[in-house]
Amino acid sequence: MTVAPPTEKSDIGGRPVPPSGWLGWVTSTDHKRIGLLTAGTSFVLFVGMGTLALTMRAQLAQPEQELVSSHLYNQLFTIHGSGMIYLVFTPFALGMGVYLVPLQIGAPGIAMARLTLLGYWFYALGAAVMLAGFATPLRAHADGWFSYPPMADSVHSPGTGTDLWIAGVFLATTGTIIMGWTVLRKRTYGMTMLRLPVFSWSMIVSCLMVIGAFPALLAALGLLAVGRADPSMFDQNVWNIGYQHLFWFYGHPVVYVMFFPYLAAVAEVLAVFSGRRFFGYKGTVLSLLVFAALSMSVWGHHMFATGQATNDYYSLTSIALLVPAGVEYFAMVGTILGGRLRLAPPMLFALAFIPQFLIGGLTGIMVGTPVIDYHVTDSYFVVAHLHYVLFAGSAFGLFGAVYFWFPKVTGVMLGHRLGRLRFWLLVLGTNVTFLPMFALGYLGMPRRISSYASFEGFGWLNLLSSIGAAFLAAAMTVFAVNVLWTLRKRTLGSAEKAPDDPWGGHTLEWATSSPPPRLNFTPDHPVPPVTSFAPLLDLRQKQKEETAADRSRP
Amino acid sequence: MKRHLSFVVVAGWGLFNGILLAVLAVYGENSIVYWLWGGAVVLLELAAVAVLASSRSGPDQHVRYRVPDRAAGAVVPIAFGFLLIALAFVYGWWLLALAGPLLLVAVALAVRGTTAREE
Amino acid sequence: MKQRHIFGDVLALLGYALLRRRAGRQVTASERSERPRLEAYYVGVLVAFAAFLVAWTAWQNQREHESAARPPVRVDVSSFLWCWAFSYPQAPERRTVSGSCRGDDLPTLVVPTGHPVQLRLTSRDVIHSLWVPHLRYKMDAFPHHVNTFTLTLDREGRWMGKCAEFCGQRHRTMHFWIKAVSPEEYDKWLQGQQGAAV
Repeated sequence: MTVAPPTEKSDIGGRPVPPSGWLGWVTSTDHKRIGLLTAGTSFVLFVGMGTLALTMRAQLAQPEQELVSSHLYNQLFTIHGSGMIYLVFTPFALGMGVYLVPLQIGAPGIAMARLTLLGYWFYALGAAVMLAGFATPLRAHADGWFSYPPMADSVHSPGTGTDLWIAGVFLATTGTIIMGWTVLRKRTYGMTMLRLPVFSWSMIVSCLMVIGAFPALLAALGLLAVGRADPSMFDQNVWNIGYQHLFWFYGHPVVYVMFFPYLAAVAEVLAVFSGRRFFGYKGTVLSLLVFAALSMSVWGHHMFATGQATNDYYSLTSIALLVPAGVEYFAMVGTILGGRLRLAPPMLFALAFIPQFLIGGLTGIMVGTPVIDYHVTDSYFVVAHLHYVLFAGSAFGLFGAVYFWFPKVTGVMLGHRLGRLRFWLLVLGTNVTFLPMFALGYLGMPRRISSYASFEGFGWLNLLSSIGAAFLAAAMTVFAVNVLWTLRKRTLGSAEKAPDDPWGGHTLEWATSSPPPRLNFTPDHPVPPVTSFAPLLDLRQKQKEETAADRSRP
Repeated sequence: MKRHLSFVVVAGWGLFNGILLAVLAVYGENSIVYWLWGGAVVLLELAAVAVLASSRSGPDQHVRYRVPDRAAGAVVPIAFGFLLIALAFVYGWWLLALAGPLLLVAVALAVRGTTAREE
Repeated sequence: MKQRHIFGDVLALLGYALLRRRAGRQVTASERSERPRLEAYYVGVLVAFAAFLVAWTAWQNQREHESAARPPVRVDVSSFLWCWAFSYPQAPERRTVSGSCRGDDLPTLVVPTGHPVQLRLTSRDVIHSLWVPHLRYKMDAFPHHVNTFTLTLDREGRWMGKCAEFCGQRHRTMHFWIKAVSPEEYDKWLQGQQGAAV
C-alpha cells in the first residue's frame, strides 16, 4: 500500500502544530479524531439530556408534585427528546462510523475528510444553539421533539427559544447529512462489497437512509420557520398534516439510523465473543437493506390517529418489518448458539441487547397495528416502547461498542470489575424504569403530562419507574468514573496497556496498533490479506492449520 | 455488475423505494406524499449516479491513496459563518454583516490552503 | 399473544446458549457460517406469518370503522385550549355543553347506550386528541378539519376522557367525562328536562 501523507512538502501554508494541541484537534482531518470529537460531544450531551430526564422522573415520582413548573417541564421533555435523538444517538452512530469504517476497510483515511470535519462543526454549533434557548427570556422550546404546528407556531409558542430550536436542529441535521454522505462515498474504496464487515454494511445502509430521509426534516423545519413568520399559513389543514408527513418521513428512518449501527456493533461483539464467524452474514446484509427500505415506508403508522393517513398500507409495511427483523434475530441467536461464549463486559451488553430490544421491537409491531395503536399512541405505552428501542436497545449496543473498542481507541483497557457492576446496575435500572411505563400507558396515562391526579392510581408505578431512574443515574456515574479514572491512569502511565487485539477480533481494525497511527496502517502493522468479512479469523485459522500440519509431520 | 456493485446497491435500494411508493399509490395518499417520497427516490438515484461516477473513475479496491488535508483550517470559520447565517433568521439580517466577512476570511484561508500541519 | 411466544422462544434459546455454550464448559465454536436452506425455510415461515397478520389487521381495522346500520346519534366535539365543547345538533334546540377544565369543572359528553354515536371532532386552535382509555380508542382533533368516528357503548357508566396530544400549559388537566345513559334517559336529557343526566 502506498500512501501519500497529508501536508506534503509541496503543500504551502501549513503551520506545524503539536498533535495534542487544541488547534490540531479542531482542524484535524484525521477521521479518528473527527469520530472521537463527535462521539465525545454526543456523550457529554448524553449526560446532560439524561439529567433532564432524571428531573422529569423526580417530578413524576408522586402525584400532584410541583418540583418544576409545567412550563419548565414542557421544556425538559422537549429538549430531552430532541437532544437524545438529534444530538446524541444519531451523531454518535455516525461518529462511530467515521472512526471505524476506514479502519475496517483498511483505508488510511476517510474520503472527504474536510467535509466530514465541517459536518462535525455544524453539529456541535447546532447543539449549542438549541441549548441556548434556555437562556432566552421565554426559555427553551417547549413543544416536544416533533413540534407539530399550529402548536409550534409563533402564536402558541412565542419566544426565540423555538426559533433557536429550529436553527439548532437544522444545523445539526445538516451536519449529520454531510457526515453520512462521506461514509457512503468512502465505501467505494477498500475491499469487495461482500467482504465488508457487518458494521460497515450497517453504516452504508444508515447512510442510504440519511440521504433519503433527512432532507425531509430540513423541509419540515423550513415549513415551520415560514409558518412562524406567517401563522395564517397553518389555517390550512394541508400544511398541518403536511408537516406531519414531512416530519415522520424523516422521523421513522432516523430511528433505524439510531439503531442499525448499534445492532451491527452488537453483531460484531457477539461473533467475536462467541469465537466464531457471524452466522448468516449474507442474509443479514440483505435483511439490513430490506429493513431500511421498508423503514422508509412506515412513517404513517405514527399518524394512525390523525384520521388522515392510509392506515392499511402503513400497517402492511409495518408488519412486513418483522421479516427482516426476524432474519437478524435468527443470525444473532444462531451466532451464540454455536459459539463458545466469553462473558466479558462488551458481551454482557450485547447479550442484554437481544431480549431487551426484542421487547421494543415486539411492542413496535403492536403500535404498528392500527387497532392497538388507537389506544396506546400518545400514551406512556409509546414512551416505554421507544425507550426500549433506544435505551434498552441502542444504548446497550452503544455501551457494548464503547467497552469493545475502548482498548483500540485509547490503547488502555477499561476496568472490567466496574464494567460488570455498571452492567448490572444498568440492566436493573432500565427495566425497572421503563417496564412500568407500558402498564401506565395502557391504564390511560397520556405522555407529556407534567403531573397527574392522585385518584388516577398512577402513583406507585410512577414511583417504581423513578426508583429505576435512580439506578440508571448510579450506573452512568459508575461508567463515568470508570472511563475518567482509566484515562487519568493512562496519563499517569499506570493503566493496563491494551494489546493490538485484546479480544481476538475478526476485522481489520484489530490488526493495527492500539491506538491506530495517523494513517491507520504502517509497514509494521500492514493490512492483512482480506479473504472474507472476518479476515483476522481466517488468518488465525490458517495459522492453526499450519501448526497442526507442522506437528503432524514427523 | 460486480465491478459496480456499489452503484447497484444504491440504485437498487432507491428503486425498491420506488416500488414501495407505487404500492402506496394503489392505496392512495395525500398528494404531498408523492412529491416527498418521489423526491427522495430521485435524490437516491442521483446519489447512485455519483457513486457510479466515482467508481468508474477509480478502481474498486485501492492500493494507492492520497490523504488530502489542505485548507482544513478554513473549516471552522465556514461553520461559524453558517452559524451566523442561521442566527440571522432568528435575530435579524444585520448578522449577515458579520457572517459575510467571516465567510470571506474562510474563503481566503481555503485559497491559501491554511492548515495545521500534523506531525 | 404471539408476541409473548416469540419473546419466550428467544429467551429460552438465549438461556440455553448461556448455560451450555460458555467457554468454561469446554465447547468448541462452530465453524459453520451459514445454513442457506434453514434460513430460506425460516424466511418462508416469517413471510407467511406476516401475511396472516396483515390480513387480520386490515380486517380488524375495517371492522373498527364499519359504518353502523342504524342512523347514528351525532355529537359535534370541539376542542380548544384547554377544554372541550360537546354539541348535539339533533336536539330540538341546539345544545352545547362546555366547561373550563379547571378543578372539577369538567364537561360531560352524554351518549345513549346501545346506539351508535358518531363523533365529529374538530379543534378551534391547535391539534388535540380525544382519548377515552376505557374505550381503548383515540382520534386526533385538527383545526380546519373534521375527523369522524363512531362508537357504541353497551352499558351505562361514566368514564374519564383525556387530551392525548400535547397542547401546552394545561394539557394535563384537559379532561372530560363520557357518560352513557339509557336511551330513554338520553332522550329526556336531550329535550332539556331537569333532573336527567348531568
